[in-house]
Amino acid sequence: MQQPSLFSPQQQGIKLSEFNDRIATVINGSRALQRQWVVAETSDVRVVRGHCYMELVEKDDRGNMVAKVSAVAWSSVFAALNNKFSQVTGSPIKTGMKVLVQATANYHPQYGFKVVINDIDPKYTVGDMERQRQEIIDRLTREGVIDMNKQLPWTLVPQRIAIISAAGAAGYGDFMNQLQNNPYGLQFYTCLFPASMQGNQTVPTVLAALDRINQHIDLFDCVVIIRGGGATSELNSFDNYDLAFTIANFPLPVIVGIGHERDVTVLDYVAAMRVKTPTAAAEWLIQQGSNELTRINDMQEAVVSTVRDTVGRASEHLAYFTSMIPATAHRIIDTNRVKLDSYAKNIPLVAGNLILSQRNRLERAVERLGDAVASALQREQQRLQALDDKVTLLSPLNTLRRGYALVRVGDKCVTAASQLQQGDRVTMQFADSAATATIDQPINQ
Amino acid sequence: MEENNEMTYTQAVTELEQLVAKMQDPQCSIDNLTAYTKRSKELLDICRKKLTQADEQLKQILADLQNPG
Repeated sequence: MQQPSLFSPQQQGIKLSEFNDRIATVINGSRALQRQWVVAETSDVRVVRGHCYMELVEKDDRGNMVAKVSAVAWSSVFAALNNKFSQVTGSPIKTGMKVLVQATANYHPQYGFKVVINDIDPKYTVGDMERQRQEIIDRLTREGVIDMNKQLPWTLVPQRIAIISAAGAAGYGDFMNQLQNNPYGLQFYTCLFPASMQGNQTVPTVLAALDRINQHIDLFDCVVIIRGGGATSELNSFDNYDLAFTIANFPLPVIVGIGHERDVTVLDYVAAMRVKTPTAAAEWLIQQGSNELTRINDMQEAVVSTVRDTVGRASEHLAYFTSMIPATAHRIIDTNRVKLDSYAKNIPLVAGNLILSQRNRLERAVERLGDAVASALQREQQRLQALDDKVTLLSPLNTLRRGYALVRVGDKCVTAASQLQQGDRVTMQFADSAATATIDQPINQ
Repeated sequence: MEENNEMTYTQAVTELEQLVAKMQDPQCSIDNLTAYTKRSKELLDICRKKLTQADEQLKQILADLQNPG
C-alpha cells in the first residue's frame, strides 16, 4: 500500500474557476436574488465611462452601518435611469440618498460579486427628501425661528441689495439686467457675495457669504439669494438645517429665488420673501420702488388739488360775501327804515302827550302865579303904607307947621349959624311957602 | 437745507403724508397753505431724488466691497 506523501493532497481539490462557477450558478441562478426591489442608502457614488458605481448601505437608528454591498448601474441603463430620476426628484443620483432600486445579485467568476441595478423608483427618494425637509421645518418651528426672517420690517424701498449668487451665473446676469434697466429710473445699489450654488460646497460658501454680509449689515436693506438659468435643478443642497437656521435668524430680510415653479426648498419656508426665479426677485424689488413712486405722485396730486380746492373754496366764500353785501345793506336799511317810520308815527302822539302834560303843568303854574302875585302885591301895599306912614311922620312939613322954618343958602340947608356970613341971601322955607332974607349980622354966641 | 440732506426716504415720505393730511383737513387755514405747499414740494423732491438719483458715494463703497484690493 502506497503511503501518502507528506506533501501530496489528502483531498482531491477543484479549480477556483470551477468553484467560482459553482458560486455563480447558485447566486445567478437564484430567483430570490433577481430583480428584487431593495431599500438602501447610496454611498460613494461615481460615474466612470458611463457606468455608475456606488455602495449600497443600510444604517441602524444610531447611524451604524449594518449592511453594505457594491453596486453598479451599467451604462446601457444608467443614462435613462438617471434622467428619469432627475426629472422626478430634481436631482441626479448621488451620495447620501435613500433609494428604492431593483437589484440583481451577480457573481462573475473573474470580477467577483456585484449587485446590478436594473431600475430605480424615484418616488421613494422624493418621499424621503420631503420627509427630511419636513423634519427640518418641524425642527425650526419647534425652535420658534421659522417665521423670524418673515417678521423683519422692510424698508419702504429696498434699494441696497446684497446678492448671493455664483458670479458668472445666468441667473445673476438676468437679475442685474432687470434691475439696472428698470423702466422707472429707480436706483439700486448691489454688491455680489459669490458662492457656489450647487454641489456639496453650497452650504459652506453660502454661509460664508452671509457671514460677510453680516459684517457690513448697515450698508444693506436686504439679501437676495439667487440661482437659476441652468436646465438641471439640484436643489436639495439647500434643504439644510444650518443654512435654514442662519437665514431665519439673519438680521436683514432675505429674498430667495433659487428654483423654478415646482421646486421648493426649506429656504422657501424661512425667507422673508420667496420668488420663483432671479428675474422675479428683481421684478419684486422694482415693484416696491414703483409703488412708492406712484404713492409720491399721488401725494403730489393731492397737494395740487388740495391747494386748488382750498383757494377755490376761499374764492367762492369771498364771492358769496361780496354778493351778500348789497342785499345785507338793503336789509339793514329796510329794517332801520321801518323802525324810523314807526318812530315818526309815534312822534305826534308822544309830542301831543308831552305838550298836553306840559300845558297842564303850565296852567297849574299860572294859577299859582296869580295867587302869588296877588298876595305879593298886597304885601307890598302894606309895606308901602307902613313906609308912607313913617315918611309922613318924619316929613319936615309937620315940623314947619309947628312954626319952624328951613334956612337954605342956594340948595344947601343951613344947620348952624356959623355957616352964614354977612350978606348971604337965604331962603326960608315955611310950611305953606318960602321967603327970602339977607343976613345982616351973624351972631356968635 | 442741510437738514433735508440727512433725511431718509422713510422720514421724508412720512412727513409728507402728515402734511398732506393737514392740508386736506377742512380746518386747514388758507394762511398756512403757502408754507405747507412749499414744504411738501421740498419733501416730494427729496423722495424722488432718493429713489431715482444715484448716490455715488454708496456706489463706490459697495464697489470696493465687491472687488477688494
